[in-house]
Amino acid sequence: MCCPPESLPNQVGERAAVTITNLVKRYGGLVAVDDVSFSIQQGEIFGIIGPNGAGKTTTVECISGLRVPDSGSISVYGLSPQRDRDKIREFVGVQLQESSLPPRLRVGEALELFASFYPTPLDPQQVLESLGIKQIERVAFKNLSGGQKQRLSIALALVGNPKIAILDELTTGLDPEARRDTWALIERMRERGVTVILVTHFMDEAETLCDRVALINHGVLSVLDTPEAIAAQAGVNRVRFVPSHPVDDETLDAVRGVQVIERKGRYVTVTGTGDLAASLMSALTAEGITVSELEARSGNLDDAFIKLTKDSTPRVPEEVQV
Amino acid sequence: MTSARRQVLGRRSRAQIAALLKVQTKLSLREPYGLGVGVGLPIVLLVVFGFISKAVPGNVGDTGLNVIDLYIPVIMVISFIGIAISIPSTLVRDREIGWLRRVSTTPVHPSQLLGAQLVINFVFAVVAIVIAMVGGSVIFGAPLSVDIPFFILSVALGIAEIFSLGLVVVALVRTQSAAGIVGGVLFFGLLFLSGLWVQPDQVTGPLQYIMLYSPSGSVVRALLYSVFGETPPVPILIAVIGYTTVFAFVAVRYFRWE
Repeated sequence: MCCPPESLPNQVGERAAVTITNLVKRYGGLVAVDDVSFSIQQGEIFGIIGPNGAGKTTTVECISGLRVPDSGSISVYGLSPQRDRDKIREFVGVQLQESSLPPRLRVGEALELFASFYPTPLDPQQVLESLGIKQIERVAFKNLSGGQKQRLSIALALVGNPKIAILDELTTGLDPEARRDTWALIERMRERGVTVILVTHFMDEAETLCDRVALINHGVLSVLDTPEAIAAQAGVNRVRFVPSHPVDDETLDAVRGVQVIERKGRYVTVTGTGDLAASLMSALTAEGITVSELEARSGNLDDAFIKLTKDSTPRVPEEVQV
Repeated sequence: MTSARRQVLGRRSRAQIAALLKVQTKLSLREPYGLGVGVGLPIVLLVVFGFISKAVPGNVGDTGLNVIDLYIPVIMVISFIGIAISIPSTLVRDREIGWLRRVSTTPVHPSQLLGAQLVINFVFAVVAIVIAMVGGSVIFGAPLSVDIPFFILSVALGIAEIFSLGLVVVALVRTQSAAGIVGGVLFFGLLFLSGLWVQPDQVTGPLQYIMLYSPSGSVVRALLYSVFGETPPVPILIAVIGYTTVFAFVAVRYFRWE
């Protein structure tokens, strides 16, 4: 089964909250997670993205001790989610995908119940207020809207005052306003120093919230970096501006990373890779040209996601430890 | 572990248990299946059989007992059955919707949730016992003379046996709808065997033995003897102990929290 001797010392240093080494999990013949290794720093918001069935949820369930890995090791603040499950549960808050409460349990009751489970809980009343669900304190679970259920679910993950919060499909089913509010909550968790592990398939969510993102595809870690770096690596950047004087193609072509130049009326649009806007601006300034109506759009994580997950053969990252 | 830490943990687990009992009590009162069938139905039956007993006094099936005398233990066992059948309806649902799994990510194991549930159900059963015995003797004049040690033994074994059977359903059935069907069939089967419609003394042949030594009938017999100051026959007690052991084993062996 699992658990090779704890041979690897924690090389990442004491700031790692979670270290996963060569994690493998199979369901029957299906390999859900195949040799995944990465570490999560204390206080960061760490995103795990990937297509449906990629192994995201399985990975976080191994971290929270809900599933037992077939091989590999996981260290959560130096503890094993299997052997030290009782200790880990005291400081890891979990929000599960597809988990409901008893229909007649009320919001305030659920929160007080969960607060009683933990050694140093937050005040349930304050949690209710900070999540904007104070007014539904006495409403039964079955009468909550999707957004309210989601907030309650987050509240339950936070009321134990966790060091690590695992949030799985946080904003699925929420309307745009509720999503923005939920994001603001996560930002507040970062300010309080909570390490957040966020499983999502919304790229804008990962881009907005996450310090780093791991892309898992077919159970393999295919890339791990900041959202900007992943986007830049895969995507193209686009810069559109109106030059003060006409500018010729040669000048633009000479700028590093430029691939395509388009002109439409007064507008010049340049697409390419790298830090395009800055390079262009310095080149144009050198020519004595100023620009107006500058608009830069970096290739986003969405583009990167589609590009990376469409690669039929998953790429093995050269370096995953950061 | 230092004693201070142990004390802190002890205080915490007491706080956890208190919070669980509080919440489970509220839920049991809001979804009163157990309370309705476990306490409400016995009250109705007590009144019905009490008045039958007053209207038709005398010897039932040459047992020397009145109707109400015979039905006091039946009513108690029906309470246990009603409560036991309500256990899957909530517990299977709580497992199906992921609530037990959710709780298992906290420092509390879902078994503590189940424990709180069983404590509340036990209280309901005790309430029904008190109602059946006090009502039966004070209002309807049943001449009870309780053999306290055997009564306590019979109640404890009877509740353990029939609650365990409820947990067997939880262990073996996956979905709430299936639990409803299995529970319903089991409920009426056990009610029949307990002697609600016809007493074992009123039938002959194999059916009498089946009723006497069935999971619910044997508990009724053990209680019947002990509320009238007699020692329950050893074969009856062996049957109750045997069922309890088997049911508890199956429930534990096949139980799933997720």
